Amino acid sequence: MIELQKLNKSFGPIKAVDDLDLRVTRGTTVGFLGPNGAGKTTTIKILTDLISATSGHALLSGVDVVSDPKAALSHVGAVVETPEFYPYLTPVETLSYLGRVRGMPAAEIDRRTNEVLAQIKMEQWRTTRIGKFSKGMKQRLAIGQALLHEPDILILDEPTSGLDPRGMVEVREIIKQLKKDHYTIFMSSHLLNEVEETCDRVALIDHGKLLVYDDIDTLAKLTKTTKLEVVGSSAIAAPLVERISKMPGVVHAENATDRSLVVTYEGPEESRADLLRSIQSLGVNVVSFSSVGLPLEMMYMDLVKESR
Amino acid sequence: MAETHEAKHGVPSDMEQIPVVWRYELLRYLRSWRLYASFAVVALVMVLLYLLPPLLGESYSGTDTGTEIWVTPMDPSAVPAGPYAVYATGTINRSQIDVDSVVLYKDGVEYPSAGTWTLNEVSFGSASVYTILVLENVTGSEITATYEWYISPESFETLFLNFASFLVIICATFFGADAIVGEFQNRTGYLVFPNPMKRAVLFIGKFLASLTAGMIVLTIFYVALAVLSLFSARGIDDDFLLSFVYSVEFLVAAMAVAYLISSLLKGSTGATVLTFFLFIMIMPIVDSVGMFAGVKIEGSLTFSSGALIYVLSDPYPSDTSQDMGPMGSLDVYYPDPVLAHVVMLAYALASLGLGMYLFRRRQLAG
Repeated sequence: MIELQKLNKSFGPIKAVDDLDLRVTRGTTVGFLGPNGAGKTTTIKILTDLISATSGHALLSGVDVVSDPKAALSHVGAVVETPEFYPYLTPVETLSYLGRVRGMPAAEIDRRTNEVLAQIKMEQWRTTRIGKFSKGMKQRLAIGQALLHEPDILILDEPTSGLDPRGMVEVREIIKQLKKDHYTIFMSSHLLNEVEETCDRVALIDHGKLLVYDDIDTLAKLTKTTKLEVVGSSAIAAPLVERISKMPGVVHAENATDRSLVVTYEGPEESRADLLRSIQSLGVNVVSFSSVGLPLEMMYMDLVKESR
Repeated sequence: MAETHEAKHGVPSDMEQIPVVWRYELLRYLRSWRLYASFAVVALVMVLLYLLPPLLGESYSGTDTGTEIWVTPMDPSAVPAGPYAVYATGTINRSQIDVDSVVLYKDGVEYPSAGTWTLNEVSFGSASVYTILVLENVTGSEITATYEWYISPESFETLFLNFASFLVIICATFFGADAIVGEFQNRTGYLVFPNPMKRAVLFIGKFLASLTAGMIVLTIFYVALAVLSLFSARGIDDDFLLSFVYSVEFLVAAMAVAYLISSLLKGSTGATVLTFFLFIMIMPIVDSVGMFAGVKIEGSLTFSSGALIYVLSDPYPSDTSQDMGPMGSLDVYYPDPVLAHVVMLAYALASLGLGMYLFRRRQLAG
């Protein structure tokens, strides 16, 4: 459905995308992760014909967007960065414009416009000129226009960017619903919890190269380190923290507050019980012992750290 | 369901997409202050041009009373006028007069025309020469005349058409200069480019919309001028429509150049300023320098656009060279009326082609 083959993009001496190979199968939702400057947006811009590739191929439903962007984008809906809209048009007019460009019949445009505006909760603004909209409203409308023609592929570049917490939740719910409807979704995001919540698979890139591409569950299992929060009934003194940091499997330990510390631990899940017993044996009266942070976040930090 | 979406509707052809882009881009101008500002400029200039000359003592029409007619005695056998012989001729020095209103006086007494004099009107295009043929000997008599006169359509329209070039430049600046660069600077490209539509289609659709907006303004100007001319000059010059054709050609060429600049530059302000000053200052300076140096720059767009005014002249003016003694000569050039079409068409095609090429290659990076 989406296939990147030896994709390269250079800006002068800088290689933004470096021999990238990736295949997103039909009906899957893939989170596209990487630190700033990793090449995520550049890859998405190539896929949406905003910039050209230096070499390689980017196939959408088997059609190379590099050589035939019109055919390749015919079944794609995209939100890239936070797009601006023509301020003199209303949401209804904007959707009508884009629908006509895509060859949708007038009746279908009307029907889908109503559905999409309801989906993104913008019915009351349907005839207001977009020039008056906030960034969050524009972002919701951007998602709406991507869904208008019920595309087979959705390419979303940080779709919750600019939204307030409620808006973020709403957009995630939309994405989850689209996922249930078997859309193929390729989504970049900085929000790891968002990716973990909505995606089936994760592709992580850095310096334009693919570091890992696998199911989220598999990646979580592969995560080497865990962050554990230990809370005592009284203050945990520095010498005790020092001793804990030297225990087997402990990579790092530091006080979060007087009574708590965060332990970065590397080892199988079963061995955490041994760690707890060892800490208690030092006289710490442990009232809480739990993992903090997301597995995906741990994996992300591990892989990015290794690649740099 | 996503699986069922394919083949629901086909993407329209390029030719089908162009009117869609045109329609929604035109809304941009119909809803913008720029179009109304253009209307305001047209209205203001027309009012000023129409009112100022009479206020400064140059009326468009009036009645000359007791105007002395200088008659030249003729040999009556040499100038036969039908069954009569002509003893003297005189000329009324007005470009247009109401022939029915002419009354002659001989030594202050009304001089009836029956068998004594006739008025001949010889037309050169829209201009006329009025000659009085006196059919009896009036040697020693003072001939005066009273008549209603009005400005010729050519003179009246030429006065206003000096503004037409400026109006075209305003339209190219308002409706073309930031049309392409705005897609990048305002980030609307992020919305439009990821659609199944070639950049060339977007370019052409936008260009046609800009052109339509300019045409609306230009047409209003010409229609208003035609109405004023009918009212003040009692007619429209024969070449008035040809002038409109030249203006439209200049609009197309200027708009194409504006689109080229818009495809080339990175900022809307720069593109707007460069477009305006290119036509209002840089090109005219080149034209003037060429004239000063004795070089006729036929390939200049602004020089060629002069045809939209000169086409009203009958006959079409020819290049002149006046000896200025030690200062050399003063050359005045006029664009060739046929070549002017070719030059404006060439500018339009070359600028559109290059502009489209640049737009297609331009990347939405950063």
